[in-house]
Amino acid sequence: MVVGLREFALRTGDGSGKPILDEPNGEELMLVQPSVAVALGNRSIESPGTLYITSRKLIWLSDVDMAKGYAVDFLAISLHAVSRDPEAYSSPCIYTQIEVEEDEDEDESDTESTAVLDLSKIREMRLVPSDSSQLDTLFDVFCECAELNPEPIEEEEEVGGGHNWVFSADQMDVHGGAEEDAEWQISQSPTSVIGHSNGDEGLAQPMLELQINDQRFEDAEEMVHESEPKDH
Amino acid sequence: MLFFSYFKDLVGQEVTVELKNDLAIRGTLHSVDQYLNIKLENTRVVDQDKYPHMLSVRNCFIRGSVVRYVQLPPDGVDVDLLHDAARREARGG
Repeated sequence: MVVGLREFALRTGDGSGKPILDEPNGEELMLVQPSVAVALGNRSIESPGTLYITSRKLIWLSDVDMAKGYAVDFLAISLHAVSRDPEAYSSPCIYTQIEVEEDEDEDESDTESTAVLDLSKIREMRLVPSDSSQLDTLFDVFCECAELNPEPIEEEEEVGGGHNWVFSADQMDVHGGAEEDAEWQISQSPTSVIGHSNGDEGLAQPMLELQINDQRFEDAEEMVHESEPKDH
Repeated sequence: MLFFSYFKDLVGQEVTVELKNDLAIRGTLHSVDQYLNIKLENTRVVDQDKYPHMLSVRNCFIRGSVVRYVQLPPDGVDVDLLHDAARREARGG
């Protein structure tokens, strides 16, 4: 469900260059911060651009290349912080860690990503506003938006439950199949046919003895007789 | 909700938050919300050699879903209170 960073180029056609939001589903623009540069992972900084913070995600759009932009859902932002130490990064920035898919083959991707950047593997993003006095405001808006996007636990449980249910239904099918198979084996397999014929003889005698020795087993005898026509 | 109330009582104390990606951040608990999102202040990364760029981070918002452990100050745990609360929670009360 959670994907990392992705390309984003959905802009309104009115020339303003603003992103198209999922307004029918309640996505709102929370803050627009002009003149923000972005640095993905250890890559060099890209600028100039504009940061759009929506109720769902961060969108950074290049001011010069209308086809260039990135987006990341707040659901995928593990951590954000204000970074002001010049030793850690040359410019004061908002530092974010991005949750990425873990099950990828990392070694392979590392060698490949030297040629083509795989955005979904970017784990860190720095947003550098030219006006660093905005950092605290940005931090607060990030916090607010993160809280607007809690983990969809109940949905996940429902989905998970759904999966479980479907899964157990599958399992039931499998069990059903197994049972049918078992029945089939009992009625069709040569061994049970042999067993059956043996059983006829083997059962007949004890039953006869039981009939003689103990009348209490009459019911059992009837049951054997009842079950026999089914088998034939 | 038990942990939410519990962590709220720890606001102002020094805690270490260990993330699922193994990053451990120590700092003063500033706030926690119902989703167990955690805000820390005066943070420092425990393993600074491994995460040098996090040195500078003064305040930090951590998404509740990425937290693996929160290490508490030993005197920040009222064991009896926590026992009672846990029992009440377990009974669904």
